[in-house]
Amino acid sequence: MIADTTSVIRPLTIQSTKATTFGALGIILFLVISGITAYSNTRTLYSETAEIVRIHQVIETMDEIFTLIKDAETGQRGFLITNNESYLEYYTKARVQVAAKTVALVQLIGNSTAIVNMTNLVDLRFEELEQAIVLRRTQSLQAASTAVGTEQGQILMEKIRAQIGVVRAERVDDYKNRLETMRDAYQTAIVVGIITSVLSLFLVGLVVYFSRLSNVTRRREVRKQQIQVGLSKTMDGEQDQQQLGSNILTFIADKLNAQVGAMFVGNHDLFQRLATYGVPENAQIPEQVRAGEGLIGQAATDKKMHLIGPVPEGYLTMGSAFGSTAPRYLVIFPTFVDGAVNAILELGFLHPVDDFDLQILESIASSIGVAVKSADYRIEQQNLLEKTQLQGEELQAQSEELRVANEELEQQSNLLRVSQTQLEEQQEALIQSNETLHQQTEVLEMQRDDLEDTKAAVQLKAEELERSSQFKSDFLANMSHELRTPLNSLLILSKLLTDNAAGNLTEEQVKFSSTIHSSGNNLLELINDILDLSKIEAGQMQIFSESVSLQGLINDLHKTFDPLAAQKSIELRMDIESQCPKFIATDRQRVEQVLRNLLSNGIKFTEKGSVSLTISIVADKKVAFTIVDTGIGIAKTDQQSIFEAFQQADGKTNRQYGGTGLGLSICKEMTRILGGTLSLLSAPNEGSTFTLVLPEKCVQEEVPDKLAMEQVDTGLFTTEDAIPMAGNTHTEIVNTHKPLYHLVDDREHVAQDKNLILVVEDDEQFAKIIYDLAHELNFYCLVTSTAHEGLLLAKQFLPAAVVLDIGLPDGSGLTVLDQLKNDKHTQHIAVHIVSARDDQQTALNLGATSYLTKPVSHEQLVQALKGMESQFKQKVQRVLVVEDNLIQRESIGHLLDAENIEIIGVANAAECLSLLKDSTFDCMVLDLHLADSTGYELLETLGQNDTYSYPPVIVYTGQELSSADERRLAKYSKSIIIKGAKSPERLLDEVTLFLHQVVTNSPAELPAKLESTAQRNNHLKNRHILIVEDDVRNVFSLVSILEPQGVLLTIARNGYEALEALENADSKGEIELILMDVMMPGMDGITAVGKIREKHVWKTLPIIMLTAKAMPNDRDKCLQAGANDYLPKPIDIEKLLSLLRVWMPKQ
Amino acid sequence: MTISAYPVTEVRQNLEDFELGLLLEAIFYQYHFDFRGYSKASIKRRMTKAMEHFGCDTFSLLQNRILQECDLMPKLLTFLTVPVSELFRDPLYFRDLREKVLPHLKTYPSINVWIAGCSTGEELYSLVILFREEGLEERTTFYATDINSDSLKKAKMAIYELDRMKVFSNNYLLAGGKASLSDYYTTAYGAAKLDSSLRKQIVFSEHNLVSDADFAEMHLVTCRNVLIYFEKELQARVIKLFNQSLSRKGFLWLGSKESLLFSPHAHAFSVFLPNTKVYQKETSLEHVT
Repeated sequence: MIADTTSVIRPLTIQSTKATTFGALGIILFLVISGITAYSNTRTLYSETAEIVRIHQVIETMDEIFTLIKDAETGQRGFLITNNESYLEYYTKARVQVAAKTVALVQLIGNSTAIVNMTNLVDLRFEELEQAIVLRRTQSLQAASTAVGTEQGQILMEKIRAQIGVVRAERVDDYKNRLETMRDAYQTAIVVGIITSVLSLFLVGLVVYFSRLSNVTRRREVRKQQIQVGLSKTMDGEQDQQQLGSNILTFIADKLNAQVGAMFVGNHDLFQRLATYGVPENAQIPEQVRAGEGLIGQAATDKKMHLIGPVPEGYLTMGSAFGSTAPRYLVIFPTFVDGAVNAILELGFLHPVDDFDLQILESIASSIGVAVKSADYRIEQQNLLEKTQLQGEELQAQSEELRVANEELEQQSNLLRVSQTQLEEQQEALIQSNETLHQQTEVLEMQRDDLEDTKAAVQLKAEELERSSQFKSDFLANMSHELRTPLNSLLILSKLLTDNAAGNLTEEQVKFSSTIHSSGNNLLELINDILDLSKIEAGQMQIFSESVSLQGLINDLHKTFDPLAAQKSIELRMDIESQCPKFIATDRQRVEQVLRNLLSNGIKFTEKGSVSLTISIVADKKVAFTIVDTGIGIAKTDQQSIFEAFQQADGKTNRQYGGTGLGLSICKEMTRILGGTLSLLSAPNEGSTFTLVLPEKCVQEEVPDKLAMEQVDTGLFTTEDAIPMAGNTHTEIVNTHKPLYHLVDDREHVAQDKNLILVVEDDEQFAKIIYDLAHELNFYCLVTSTAHEGLLLAKQFLPAAVVLDIGLPDGSGLTVLDQLKNDKHTQHIAVHIVSARDDQQTALNLGATSYLTKPVSHEQLVQALKGMESQFKQKVQRVLVVEDNLIQRESIGHLLDAENIEIIGVANAAECLSLLKDSTFDCMVLDLHLADSTGYELLETLGQNDTYSYPPVIVYTGQELSSADERRLAKYSKSIIIKGAKSPERLLDEVTLFLHQVVTNSPAELPAKLESTAQRNNHLKNRHILIVEDDVRNVFSLVSILEPQGVLLTIARNGYEALEALENADSKGEIELILMDVMMPGMDGITAVGKIREKHVWKTLPIIMLTAKAMPNDRDKCLQAGANDYLPKPIDIEKLLSLLRVWMPKQ
Repeated sequence: MTISAYPVTEVRQNLEDFELGLLLEAIFYQYHFDFRGYSKASIKRRMTKAMEHFGCDTFSLLQNRILQECDLMPKLLTFLTVPVSELFRDPLYFRDLREKVLPHLKTYPSINVWIAGCSTGEELYSLVILFREEGLEERTTFYATDINSDSLKKAKMAIYELDRMKVFSNNYLLAGGKASLSDYYTTAYGAAKLDSSLRKQIVFSEHNLVSDADFAEMHLVTCRNVLIYFEKELQARVIKLFNQSLSRKGFLWLGSKESLLFSPHAHAFSVFLPNTKVYQKETSLEHVT
């Protein structure tokens, strides 16, 4: 069935070529031969004919000669008879003619003997004739006749005649021979002619046959060429592969009358179906064919054309391409390019395919191959072009980026240039001002020299003054200390006695102690006044400006004076006018002192009526304190003197009304140094109005000091230097003193469980008081009376706080303070100064935590100690590390080690819990893998159990956590760190963060708003809402908004979990509303909503979408998906709550 | 937009700019894509090209077409957004990220990464591959967003031309790749398709940096070579958005020619890797509007 047709066609053509050649040669040869034969025949005929003609001519000539002789004879006879010369004409003519003819005869047949004989005879005849003539002429007729009559002439004539006859006979024989020859030749010619014509006919037939054959061939060739040309035209142009394929198929099928066709393109390995022709829709034609697969593959592999036919019925899927059309004959042929197959065509025919068509197919195979390849090339070209374009775009984009960067750089360089210009200008200005300064300096130098001289003079004076003021200061300091110290103890002890805590005193004894106490207070007042005044006189009063609340002032004054006023049944009013600022900047203590003084005076000198204090604003940023009383008033003459120290209006006043009489002068001085004014308006029995006017902002520098030049107060080098007992402020304290007293304290049995306080105080009584108080408040207490021992004890025991007196026998407490603060082991210890001196600012500058001036009241002490207690907690921050691996635990400890951090490590949950039961921590680092518990359980225990303190927890674990684990931990822990290369860094960072309580992303505004909306949202209580959101921050904020409202919440992280949650309605009841985020991993919000709505039971469940996308069509998308409403992020709480109100109405 | 009395010689230039401005307003009005804050020069160049493509001679004609024919907008978008990218573009930056940033991310139990302006996904998949090789892929969710839905589609398909793969492979190795890039793709029909398992942890979404808010807490935000096409105000807005989205100490990664140096919000970030343009969030800025 399968025949290799190509081989069939070839031999035929070869054979015919040979035959033709031989045939042609044969024919030519034959024609040549026949030609030659004909020619020779013709020539023979011709020559024979010529000979015959000659013979005739000879005979004729001879006859003519005979005739002529006869003529000559006649002529002769005539002459003889007539003797007419005219008859000789005939004779002569004849004679000549005979001669000529004889010559001609000789020419014709040569000189044969017969001819010679004849000629001789002829000559004799003529001689004879001639004789006769001559005789006639010369003689007579008779003689002539006689001559004639001799019959010689007749004999001659007979001889001639005989001779001629001989020749004639000869010639006639010859003639016959020649005729024979001619007849033969003639026959030959005829035969040859016949053969020739027959052959010619045959040749013509052959030629006709061959020409028809070549016609057919030529027509086929023409058809082939047409097809080739037509195909080239079809394949011409820039077609894509698809178009090309179908065009080719269509064309071929059309021209070769195929019914169906398919074309596959590819490389040597794999071919794709490109186009089909005439194939119905549902035919099963493979998309791809591999080399070697089936017949098509086979054709590809062996690169040959295959003809298959006739195809049996039902031939469908056996490896060829066609289905429902059942062709009878198939041709599969590959196309080549560069020796490789690049396409295969299959054609189906209902009629058998003849070899010429196959030939045609073969011939177009390569051009199809080329066309396909060039289509390929075109595609590639297109791609390359596109790529080039893309690259061009990329280049452009990059150059765009460069240009933008360039522009920025330009901008920057412009800015730089501008600033450079500015700098240059500034430099110019600086140079100028420099010059000016130079000049000024010169002037100043001159002035300085002058000053130097003056200064020297003044120096002397000043030294004198200093000496005197030194004595004064000494006196003040001493007095201050000496007076206050015993007074201190006196007051406290008398107070204690008055309190009668033990209840073992009689009423009278209590009264005695009360009296002692009040006397002591009075004494104290007096001493304070004197000291104050002296201080002011000595110019040692300092003002410390701070922000003072006017209302606060008034409150305190009320506290103090209300009982007093009530006692005397006087009305006491205090007002602040509305335009007054809330705060002024001034020295609270001093202002209060002045006001107290004025108020107490007012109350003191008023029997009935009222005392009022009004604070108001006066011009030029000043505040006025106006105290009006309805008392006895002051006479004009006395008004000046009452302000003078040590003078009273009337000595009696003091005795009647009490008081030291120093108050107002102190007030005057105080006012002065506060930068204000004090004025008085009064008349006897008409009450008095004192007005204190202070600037709103008291500036320390404006205070004119009496001895301003000398007393440059920088803090460190003040009175301390002047006190010989103080020693040096910065160097060591030499242990030159034995302790002044010996008090049993706790140094033998200090433990960690309680805080330790160190008391450095030279007054034994006071020290004991504090010692007892400390014990009362559950502290350990160490006591010492010297600075030296104080330092030693502080360094040794590292107490939590130190109560430090300044006036110590072997040094100044300030030195102790300084040294403590400069030593890094002790610098964190809180130092509370309790001192008789007034060195507050200095002490605070050196780093003291607080400063109390002696005498201190019991309450003050208690408060201070209690304050210390709470400060202890703040000072040292405690971190609990729960980690079972010892090395890890220690390394975490080292990592977090810092000044004020105490690190406690435990190895298991039990220890951790026991610690948390009894104490609190600022932060906890927890490993999840513990010996006796997992971290989760521990956290859950902590979270649910109130008996344990619950610090912020950082989970520090080496395990990788699933997202479920993470969420479980997130409930209890603020931060989760996975151990790794960078985890220590992060741990340190997070711990530091917690200990300093930096607020990160929590929404700060919430709580305030919450309160305001609480009332309106009662209907949200116990409603069940599902939140579907993967951003933990949003979850946190939603929970913190909704949970306090009583909403029951379920949280899902994505669409899947949401559906699950809906399915499993739990103890919280059915879900009534869903808040759904849009962008989530797994299933996103829009898809989830769609799925939810699919279920009938959830078709009407309200869903509110939370979306980060802000454009209106995003809203539409949400609504289209089935949501009821949407809320853009960041979430507006009000809007959320109002939406909830809308979609979850009251039931 | 204000028009003042310019001298005649300048009128032509300004008219074009004016038309461009109107065009951008029209687009915003009709489709709510706000390109008004984009860099003027780059928008102009792109619009000019788009103009030619759509056969309009002036911006006003283009504006008319845009307003009347809705289906033109997605096509216009492709002109306005830049689809030019490579896998592991700037490979040394990726190497830095791998060696210096990823160790920090390893300390978190779960990681969120936001690729803002992911375009056709080259950078996205580079990061996924990087994370996978460092063992972080499982706990990471990658959020890939872009304004152009066509680009997102292409990114989802992860098909790239085969002959680009050579450059990509080279980049991959320079970026410290541990295996071979060919492990991650298969070839067919003259193209390379990235393994579909790379898509497991990715969430694709349309998102417009000009108008939309943040949507989850991120540990790493990468936005490379997008900001240079924005004007200063828009850049500031976007930086603020990223700041809102990042967790404390989260990382922000910008393109090689970008910087926070001149941004008004620079104080909220510290410079983590100056040469690689990686910043770390230190403080939160107030909420963005």
